[in-house]
Amino acid sequence: MVTQILDPTDERVPIKRSLTPRPEALHGRIALLDISKPRGDVFLDRLEELLHERAPGVETRRFMKPTVAKPAPQPIKDAILEECDFVIEALAD
Amino acid sequence: MHPPTKFSLQDANGQEMQFPPQGPVLLALVKEDCDTCNLTLPLLEAVHRATDDGLDVWVAVQKTEDIPVLKDRHDLTMPLLDDDALDLSYETDIDTVPTLFLYDQEQNCTLQTFGFDRHEWREIAKESMALAGRPDGNTDIDWDALPVQRPGCGARNYEPGVYERLQAIKSGDLLSRLVDLASSDDIHDFMYEQGYTDGFPVVPPTRERVWKMLQGTDRDPQDEVAIVPPNLAPITVEKIAINAVMAGAKPEYMPSIIALVEIACTDSFNIHGVLATTMGATPVGIFNGPIRDRIGMNYLHGALGSGNRANAAIGRALRLCVRNVGGSVPGGTDRATQGGPHRLTMNFAENEDASPWESLAVEYGFEPADDVATLMAMSGGPATIADERSREARGMAGTLAMSMSCMQDPKSPMVDTLVVLSPDHAGIFGRSGWSKDDVRECIMEETAIPLKHRLRSDDAGCGLPQSVVERFGGEAALDLPVPKFREKSNIILVVAGSSAAKFSTILGGWAGGAYSVPTSATIGPTGALEVRGSRGSDMDKRSSGGRELGAFEPSVRPD
Repeated sequence: MVTQILDPTDERVPIKRSLTPRPEALHGRIALLDISKPRGDVFLDRLEELLHERAPGVETRRFMKPTVAKPAPQPIKDAILEECDFVIEALAD
Repeated sequence: MHPPTKFSLQDANGQEMQFPPQGPVLLALVKEDCDTCNLTLPLLEAVHRATDDGLDVWVAVQKTEDIPVLKDRHDLTMPLLDDDALDLSYETDIDTVPTLFLYDQEQNCTLQTFGFDRHEWREIAKESMALAGRPDGNTDIDWDALPVQRPGCGARNYEPGVYERLQAIKSGDLLSRLVDLASSDDIHDFMYEQGYTDGFPVVPPTRERVWKMLQGTDRDPQDEVAIVPPNLAPITVEKIAINAVMAGAKPEYMPSIIALVEIACTDSFNIHGVLATTMGATPVGIFNGPIRDRIGMNYLHGALGSGNRANAAIGRALRLCVRNVGGSVPGGTDRATQGGPHRLTMNFAENEDASPWESLAVEYGFEPADDVATLMAMSGGPATIADERSREARGMAGTLAMSMSCMQDPKSPMVDTLVVLSPDHAGIFGRSGWSKDDVRECIMEETAIPLKHRLRSDDAGCGLPQSVVERFGGEAALDLPVPKFREKSNIILVVAGSSAAKFSTILGGWAGGAYSVPTSATIGPTGALEVRGSRGSDMDKRSSGGRELGAFEPSVRPD
């Protein structure tokens, strides 16, 4: 006898999104996103220094989530999308 | 009971019989193990033979295997229809066999009865003869030899287990995808491998079990209850019921489980952060009010675990909902560094009778008669406080304070610690006339240490950065006493357990309590009625996108 159970999941099929093609060189403006985790600023400060040193001409812009505990507010996501070509996120500890 | 107007069933020879046939018809529904059915079948056969072609007599039998048995037992020649699937019985909604419907030439049901009443059956037989065009014909039934009345038997479609199966399949309440298991699959292995479980075996959520679970709430199965992080997936009452079955819940727990899901998905409780955090937090449920006894929750021996079905299953159901619908899976978006056994389920009721104080729910503004659930995000504990010596309130409060002074780390101030006092420890405060606030004030004083001892140093790298000194007023503030807790209200006091001994429990909050506020709801038949954050006013209960309760940032944060 075939046993049947009901699916306990949300049953949604994730939308497949392809990655944006990897650029051959850094250019334009890079968003540096601090998620408000300890020492995220230290990491991004150093990274910013290195970027300016090794990729002159590349502009950086700093963003920060108001809290580590919740997803980034939409205005921050919108600003990164509109103003920047790349984003580097300092994730977790 | 609804007289059927149209159906199709096979007879004993496998021939499809379409109802209604041309002309008048007498339709009966019977089962084999019913004395009254066996009493009446020869009467139906007599009517069939006496009316000849003038009237059809059809008998629907509720089990395939009973058809040849009845045919042989009563030498039946009338068509015996196979209602083994109980489609006809369900649509007709009969609860008793035999049930009899008489239809005239226009297929109007003119008479109906159930069980056996000699007078009624005699009338039906007489009317059948009239409809067949033989009003003066004789059925050869010796009516005087028959009993005056016999009750019928319960119809098979209402038998326990069968009724639930039929409802589950035919009611239209269940819309979730059906997952087929091969006969070679071990159901527990299968469900684990699909990622449906928390590691322990779960109760397989068959349609019958889920339908029964849904009977525990007045809410429509397809009502959307909340949007569950981290995948921001809508969760319906049906999906909650499926996960509640898996958790081992009973239908009467459903309103509480729905309420916990609603609380968890508020912006104030922030289940997204609670489960995504690397700190390994988990929702802890505390119940107050009459519901504790009504659904058999434990607030006595072993209240914090284990052995009580309501305590265990309600908390586990919430976790399974967030896992299976929200997509919070350890190693995925659940980033707990180590986790802990309390993440499987942590849910209990307050021992209100043993408490010298108002209950947690009353403290948060609800009435004593309200059924209330409160969720708190806890990452630490449960850790035992053993003090069998204190007899006075001051000493007992001191024990609590010293035990709590090292929560998370010995230097950082934190917010929200849940103190679950045993009745014996709570009684010390009660006998001394101490209020909850008296206990809290003592803990604040006892845990206060100079600011300089809360700063990072070479001998212990945890604690506050030197930069906070300026915020406290510079060098002069180094000797300023800073308590472990930001405010008195961050020390949450409840009473649970039995009068066994002087042991209590503390559970540390998550990330200083800044990101998740203890949040409560009154519970009604449909789930949460009114949701409140402990530090805010009424709030929008539906939403992970609900209103903020108001900024709550600790004045002193580790970073």
